[in-house]
Amino acid sequence: MNKRTLYDRIFDPGETALAWVLLTPALLFIALIVVYPVATLVINSFFDIRLSRGLPVAFVGFDNYAAAFSDTMFWRAVKNTLIITIVTVPGALVVGLGLAMLANMPFKIRGPIRLALLLPWAMPLAFVGLIFAWFFHSEYGIINDIIRRLGGEPKIWFNSPSLTMMAICIATIWKTSSFMALILLAGLQTIPSSLYEAAEVDGASKWTQFREITLPLLVPSMLVALIFRTLTAIQSFDIPFSMPGPGEESQTLAMYIQLNTVDYLDLGYGSTLAVFMFLLSMATTTVYLRYVRGDKD
Amino acid sequence: MNNLFTAKRLRWFAAGIVIINGFFPALWILFTSLKGEIELTAKPITYWPQNPVLTNYIAAFNDQPLPGYLLNSVIVAGLSMCLALFISTLAAYAIARLNLKRRNLILTGIIAVSMFPLVTLMVPLFEIMRGLGLLNSYTALVLPYTVLNLPICTLVLVSFFQDIPRDIENAAMIDGCTRMGALWHVVMPLAAPGVFTAGILAFVNAWDEFLLSMSMNAAVAYRTLPVGIQMYQGEFSFPWPTISAALVVALIPVVTVILIFQERVVSGLTSGGLKG
Repeated sequence: MNKRTLYDRIFDPGETALAWVLLTPALLFIALIVVYPVATLVINSFFDIRLSRGLPVAFVGFDNYAAAFSDTMFWRAVKNTLIITIVTVPGALVVGLGLAMLANMPFKIRGPIRLALLLPWAMPLAFVGLIFAWFFHSEYGIINDIIRRLGGEPKIWFNSPSLTMMAICIATIWKTSSFMALILLAGLQTIPSSLYEAAEVDGASKWTQFREITLPLLVPSMLVALIFRTLTAIQSFDIPFSMPGPGEESQTLAMYIQLNTVDYLDLGYGSTLAVFMFLLSMATTTVYLRYVRGDKD
Repeated sequence: MNNLFTAKRLRWFAAGIVIINGFFPALWILFTSLKGEIELTAKPITYWPQNPVLTNYIAAFNDQPLPGYLLNSVIVAGLSMCLALFISTLAAYAIARLNLKRRNLILTGIIAVSMFPLVTLMVPLFEIMRGLGLLNSYTALVLPYTVLNLPICTLVLVSFFQDIPRDIENAAMIDGCTRMGALWHVVMPLAAPGVFTAGILAFVNAWDEFLLSMSMNAAVAYRTLPVGIQMYQGEFSFPWPTISAALVVALIPVVTVILIFQERVVSGLTSGGLKG
């Protein structure tokens, strides 16, 4: 092969060089908008940056972290976030699995079913929060109307922290279960029907078939969906924000971070809390990935 | 007794549950938006609007600059979608086709961005945009949304590029096309469904985003829909019929998109989910 001239190298680069040229915009964007900001975040968490007071930026070491540990608002936000995660992740999985099983029946017309699963996915979370806040309205909400019709005692949902949390969890499960259902439905459709036919011949009940065939074969798609669902549950913001309870009782960690950063302009403390959120997400991902790897061994 | 549970009835029952679950909240908002003041505050509450009125829609447009919010959402989601598609097409082609070591590592690195908590990103981005004087601008949202959509777009496009036979490209190159020429004239038209799918996902993601939008663009002129919708409520008042009417208007674009492109959306979501 002839030696390539400089002209060739610039106007007809080799494949590997071209590959890196094509990757550059993506890597540049990620470096500038994800990696660099996160580096400044970690650095900021060691400084006192309260923009509203106009004081000079001062290095304070671990003071912000110490402040977080003795901040009851912070711990309440962590508690609320964990409650939402622990309730809505399994909740969305169970409801999503139910919806997927129902949607997997042999229908002639699939369009409306698919649309019914897509609509909650496409609806902005902030809209879902508002719609469910209206559902749970104490006077004119449909939930209290149904409770009244069934002869129960209607509740003032947003006057009680625990009832507010319950309403937030229900709204979140509704919103997220349909995406779960779409992923699980795709998983269900890859299971060969011959497996069920064979089980039928062996006299296995429907329940046994579900437990022994469906569930184990769905595990890979479930895990992927669960990782993303858990990561988004930890960041819950839109729905709790749109369904406020009494005071700030149902504040989540994301809401508390946003409040400190944008409203109080306390960037040092906001950064510290954001570092905590980052570690929480990393820990979640690590646990899941370890489980996935352990599963393959 | 057995007749009650025929396969056909069971199917209708199943379809009913899935459809009611999916459509009910949107329908309820539609019903509410058509009720007048008197009907809304009647007890027991009515389900189907008895005397449909359009006053709530007029109020929705008068109380807040709803068309402005819509336009802002379209601009931000549209621009970030185009940018994300352009950047991820180049990256996905390099990863799927070119002679590249550690291609899986690079793809994993790009996908890892989607594991990143948005709130964590919001804090430093807020400071940076504030420093650059970019709060309340389209840039403050378009740039982050572009990056947030890179993982899913790249993932969808890589799988589409991998399905296109290499021979077609090689033939074009033998005929005198450069590699980039082959990408543009031969590969892209074949990957069009993939580009489309990735584009819809990117658009809907950007359209739905609330936290960054609220933090960066609080000014009326730059509010996107999810933020603008929250502004109908006063300190102590919740004008539910007006909010419902605004929600119905705001839902129309998204519903139209998924109505037309439902199959693409499903294939994009599940390919991203299953291969991720």
